[in-house]
Amino acid sequence: MTAGGYFGQALVVDVTDGTAETLPLTDEVLRGYLGGAGLGTWLMHRLAPQGVEPLGPGAPLAFVFSPLVGTPLTTSAKFAVVAKSPLTGLLNDALASSQFAISGKLTGNDAIVVHGRAAGPSVLLVDGDGARLVEAGDTWGTSAAEAESRLGERLGRGWRIASIGPAGERGVCYATLSHDGRHAGRGGLGAVLGAKNIKAVAVRAATKVAPADQDAVLVAARDLRERSFGQATAKYRELGTLANLLAFNAINTLPTRNFTAATFTDAPRLAAEDLAEARGVARNSCASCTIGCEHIYQTKGGGQARVEYENVFALGPMCGVSDPDDVLAASARCDELGLDTISAGGTIAWAMECAERGLIDAPWLRFGDGAALLRALDEIGSGEGLGELLAQGSRRAAELVGGGSEDFAPHVKGLELPGYEPRTLQAMALGLAVNARGADHNRSGAYEADLSGEHDRLAGGAAHVTAAIGTEDRAAIMDSLILCKFLRGVFTDPFDEWSALLASVTGWDVDGAELAATAQRIVLAKRMFNLREGWTPADDWLPQRLLSEPVEVGERTAVLSPERLRAMVDSYYAARGLDGAGCPDEAATADLRLDNCILSTRGWMP
Amino acid sequence: MTAGIVLAGGRSARMGTPKAALEWHGSTLLRRTTGLLARTVDGPVVVVRAPGQQLPEVGPSVEVVDDPAEGLGPLQGLAAGLAAVAGHADVAFVCSTDLPFLHPAFVRRVLAAVDEQADVVLPRARGYPQPLAAAYRTALAPLVDKLVAAERLRPAFLFEETQVTRLDDAALLAEPVLAALDPQLDSVCNINEPADYETARARPAPEVTVQRYGALATGDGHRGPRSVRAATLAAAAAAADLALDRHVVAALNGDQISRDAELPLATGDTVAFLSADAGG
Repeated sequence: MTAGGYFGQALVVDVTDGTAETLPLTDEVLRGYLGGAGLGTWLMHRLAPQGVEPLGPGAPLAFVFSPLVGTPLTTSAKFAVVAKSPLTGLLNDALASSQFAISGKLTGNDAIVVHGRAAGPSVLLVDGDGARLVEAGDTWGTSAAEAESRLGERLGRGWRIASIGPAGERGVCYATLSHDGRHAGRGGLGAVLGAKNIKAVAVRAATKVAPADQDAVLVAARDLRERSFGQATAKYRELGTLANLLAFNAINTLPTRNFTAATFTDAPRLAAEDLAEARGVARNSCASCTIGCEHIYQTKGGGQARVEYENVFALGPMCGVSDPDDVLAASARCDELGLDTISAGGTIAWAMECAERGLIDAPWLRFGDGAALLRALDEIGSGEGLGELLAQGSRRAAELVGGGSEDFAPHVKGLELPGYEPRTLQAMALGLAVNARGADHNRSGAYEADLSGEHDRLAGGAAHVTAAIGTEDRAAIMDSLILCKFLRGVFTDPFDEWSALLASVTGWDVDGAELAATAQRIVLAKRMFNLREGWTPADDWLPQRLLSEPVEVGERTAVLSPERLRAMVDSYYAARGLDGAGCPDEAATADLRLDNCILSTRGWMP
Repeated sequence: MTAGIVLAGGRSARMGTPKAALEWHGSTLLRRTTGLLARTVDGPVVVVRAPGQQLPEVGPSVEVVDDPAEGLGPLQGLAAGLAAVAGHADVAFVCSTDLPFLHPAFVRRVLAAVDEQADVVLPRARGYPQPLAAAYRTALAPLVDKLVAAERLRPAFLFEETQVTRLDDAALLAEPVLAALDPQLDSVCNINEPADYETARARPAPEVTVQRYGALATGDGHRGPRSVRAATLAAAAAAADLALDRHVVAALNGDQISRDAELPLATGDTVAFLSADAGG
């Protein structure tokens, strides 16, 4: 019997001809990988051919739901999108939220996997009648929001739609996929869907799923809801993540002008504290969320934009741009095109530096020039001018341009760095270096340790390694259950509390210790996927600039030497049970719960 | 790397009560002195106490070591302190526990004067040499031991056998940050008698700048920097209408992150109060 909260199957759709198969998901697999990012990782091991071209027809892309979706537990209406990334060539998962998660799961599937390539622009429909394709040429070229609106009108009531924008259609390596304005942003999953000629996936609920202990779930939901109104979420509720900007500037942690500085003189112009008063027009929530972190600001000309710290960091200080009109316009433009703002901003900041150094011929492109920022975004969207180069992300663009620009390309494993200065947050430096997805603040929240005051954030060492592993493990579970990380501060004993939630939904006798082991399994499984796709230990590293150029922090100088990072990475490997080549031992491999035939074909089993 | 050594083993005879435990704006003199050194040096901080001496709480990660013998004066304590940090730092700032106005800028100024020609940097401030507000190479530990064994117990004997750089008031105040933050060189004002203590305690707490950020800055009157008087982080938080609970952390001068209520503050410090949930 399938556990509560699950259907025990994934729907695997070949969009080449619209046929679909059901892939059974055993209790062992579900309990071992939970859902979301964890189950998505297992599906990629199972379904992605080794060495598959991310934008080729053989590459699978999975929409993965979770056991908590559909319950009244706050922030649980989320889904993961998982595939091999065209930006990194490695495993990528990105989360989005709201009604698509609920309706997608209630199609009767724990995951919907798409592979193949449709003959022309199409929409994939999935409901109780299974999967089918409909032609969608009229939406090709539109923004995701416009496509969602048009398809919603055409399909009628009950359909929930996740769509790509023009960047996904054009194969921009950091194109997003979004639903109701919320993006599965990182790693270019929009390009993967676009390469299949799929503009959107539409889902309609057809069934129900019951938790094992409905009363316990309701009690837990009420408790969690009350806690979600407290101080631990105040930041998200009151100002949103943009509250970071001025604070990070005050502690020399705001990456500026492509990591040439850690403070931005004009940061106050972009501060949430002021912008919220001057431009705030609304605050929204995802479905089933009681936090309400979305802060909507008015843009010049009467438009509106969702504002997050990462948008503003990447399109503001990272590019040296301080005019809020320009930054909000750039953010809105990224939404229209369907671009990951962090990778877009990071890649453009790299290009600005290249232009100023004379490495690329673009005299119009300079740090601090808002008009140039907008032009660069337009070129990425259209493929004109620098667009084709910049659409590949900073790593590949730097390989093409050369001239030493590889040293200041702001990425790890090809994924552009988020707005956390690694030299002044050295637990985070490790987290960014070793994470399977690349430079990422959502899969490794090690900055929490740096900002806790418990360790010297400028002197990375053993304590920082332990902290980084802890945050990576917690993220693995939150991304698989799925619960929003903005809720993390309300949990005092996370693994025990999460296991209680999971037990009430599934009926499993799961406890905190099991969930802690599950976290390690998921983290390891991600690394193992990368290993088979050509990852090497050299990929667990930071850009040369961060290891050779110090930054000033008050009376001190922040230095992150290659030796210090090497020592932390080595300690991380040891703690994760990996050898120097990043390979796990036999016991850890067996615990991955993959079919023996898969393991043996990849050389992981004798 | 630099270290800090606080000699706490004196008898406090004139004070009539242990000076290390004297109250100082909600903390103690020892806590303040060790805390100021800890936020200034990049290596260990140790307290040297007399055998069996009871001490008030010292700051986080501060080590306490014992003098092997009592009543032999500061060189005995210096020997114990230098030996304790010798493997971890090249130079140590050494001071007594009774310097309530010791400023980090003074410590930095003295430590910065240690060069290849200097075994000791000895301030001569406010008219007197200040061997207990001075910098010593940790490699001097065996020499100091030898002097103690020979009962040559005055610091002057050490200075006879070492290279000493002397800094007078003008040399000290040539450093602009120190000149701005401690123009009278109050850093070397020590407290020996109850009247000294009362006079010093009556002075206002250091003037520092506090600012609330993010969600802590919402609401009337909570935005922007404010100048307040506060000798500890807890006092600064209170002046900013905040409690240092699990949801609040402070950043000192854009650098050190702390929730330590007794973290000592000095004139000119800036304290940024952040949501502990900072992050995306």
